[in-house]
Amino acid sequence: MGALRRVGVIAGYEWRRALAKKKVLALIILAIAFQTLIMVVFSQLVVGAFFTVEFRSLIWIVGVSEGQGLFFPLIAIIVAGGSMAEEYEHGTADILLSKPVRRVEYMWGKLLGGFSLLATVEALITFVGVVLSLWFFGAQSGLQFAPLMFLAIVYSSLIFFSLSFMFSEVFRGSTLAMLGAFGVLIASSVISPILSSLYSMTNQQSYLYLSKGLPTWAATNFPSFLMSKLITVPSTVFSVGDLGDLYQAALIIAVYAIVFIVMAAFRLLKSDVTKKAG
Amino acid sequence: MASHPVLNISNVTKYYGKFKALDSVSFSVDKGWVYGYLGPNGAGKTTTIRIMLGLLKPNQGEVQITGANPSKDPVQAFRSVGYASELPTLQTFFTAEQLLDFMGKMFELPTQTRKEKTRQLLDLVGLKEWGKKKIGTYSKGMVQRLSVALALINDPMVLIMDEPTIGMDPEASVHFRSLFMNLAKEGKTIFISSHLLDEVQRICTHIGMINKGKIVFSGPIEQVLEAFTQQWVVEAELEKVTESIVSSLKAFESVSDVKVDGNRLVIELKEKKDVRGEISSEIFRQKGVLLSLNLHKITLEDAYLQALKGGQ
Repeated sequence: MGALRRVGVIAGYEWRRALAKKKVLALIILAIAFQTLIMVVFSQLVVGAFFTVEFRSLIWIVGVSEGQGLFFPLIAIIVAGGSMAEEYEHGTADILLSKPVRRVEYMWGKLLGGFSLLATVEALITFVGVVLSLWFFGAQSGLQFAPLMFLAIVYSSLIFFSLSFMFSEVFRGSTLAMLGAFGVLIASSVISPILSSLYSMTNQQSYLYLSKGLPTWAATNFPSFLMSKLITVPSTVFSVGDLGDLYQAALIIAVYAIVFIVMAAFRLLKSDVTKKAG
Repeated sequence: MASHPVLNISNVTKYYGKFKALDSVSFSVDKGWVYGYLGPNGAGKTTTIRIMLGLLKPNQGEVQITGANPSKDPVQAFRSVGYASELPTLQTFFTAEQLLDFMGKMFELPTQTRKEKTRQLLDLVGLKEWGKKKIGTYSKGMVQRLSVALALINDPMVLIMDEPTIGMDPEASVHFRSLFMNLAKEGKTIFISSHLLDEVQRICTHIGMINKGKIVFSGPIEQVLEAFTQQWVVEAELEKVTESIVSSLKAFESVSDVKVDGNRLVIELKEKKDVRGEISSEIFRQKGVLLSLNLHKITLEDAYLQALKGGQ
């Protein structure tokens, strides 16, 4: 019970630390502004075959998931990238870790604090997305699945959140951690479609496996794979995968997250707490 | 009297790469002691403190604080420990009240206790008016004061302080020295690392000296003064120094040498014994007029320098 309470105290601290950063707040505001802009633009493009009645009634999915592409991973990377590293950079790790708290409790507090903050941001994005869809496009279908969509997006964000968190602890420098995670996100986003194209051209399975093994495949496709199992939608709304793809994506996210978290824990538990330079 | 070590460092060795920062360091601090930890820059003081706090892992040896190993069981080890670091960098996004409250939560203090302690401690360290202001707006001295308040939030049994008065103005330093002495009177054990030898001599009951990663002395402060005293010296200022005064003093059995420096005599003694009575009588007998007579005992600074020389 004491351990859980200590994790909770550190998690609360992590919320305050992350929200004190202007760049996190700016990104949250930007994400919502971008989401609003997309919906406004879509509402002006109501003609054409693309905007069928069916599509209009499912536009909430676009509203909820559009931030998943860029802003949400960015928020995840920034929140997690500063989580451990900034305590070393500012010299505050000494103060926190010389208190009655185990290092593993400290790490879980940081991890859960940052992740719950991220989930709250996504809850806000989901809520705004649904409200905007109703506002601009009228009645929506399948809205009962919005909470599930929210959970799927939060789950899929685990990959880049835990990657950035791991870099944060391993490098103990926030800029390096954020750049590292962002670099992986960009590289994976570029390489994955190339591999998919190569697979289409050559039909060699190895390209497909490699493409699926990259972090962006699971992170970006998991929510849409899940929704395509729940609602019948045209593939223009989101990628449709079979049940196997859904399970693979879920498994890949879990494996990546576990590996990254274990690496972060190993570094924290096995090494000295480095002192602030200078 | 039975020994009750609350802090025990046993045979601790620490390497940074190939550099041996601590070499089989051992000492213990009993309940109620005020232990001053001295050493030149780079001697290993901060490394020792960081090992005591579980921030660094020793390559060899063991540390026990209040009976627990801080690396293995920090919850038990730090429950009754307060730590104030040298020129601390605190969480600037908090106000002093918020940070004290957060630290109180880390020690599982109830809400009401946290509120009361926060108010008392801000008053104690002279930051009452600053409690609601962000720490980012504080001066270095104010951060140092707040750091001491944070170290006291859990009413600790053991206080570990690394250069606690550095960055404070003289008035604040005096206030905090008196605070530490009061805490010692309350029975708290204080471990204090400092460069200010005068401060250590005034506050501490025991000292440890470290040089090049090795402990060169650990024990009661009187013992270190005794152990490293090479010589006692009597300084006499006369109206006029005559040959007869000098030769008669040189003939004293307890005097090893007499040096003349204008109207001042530097009388070096063979033993650590106060012979000012005999010296003044002899000067009077030789018709000398004595203006002042001082026995120069060794200061902690002298002992410290001697100890470092010995350790080299």
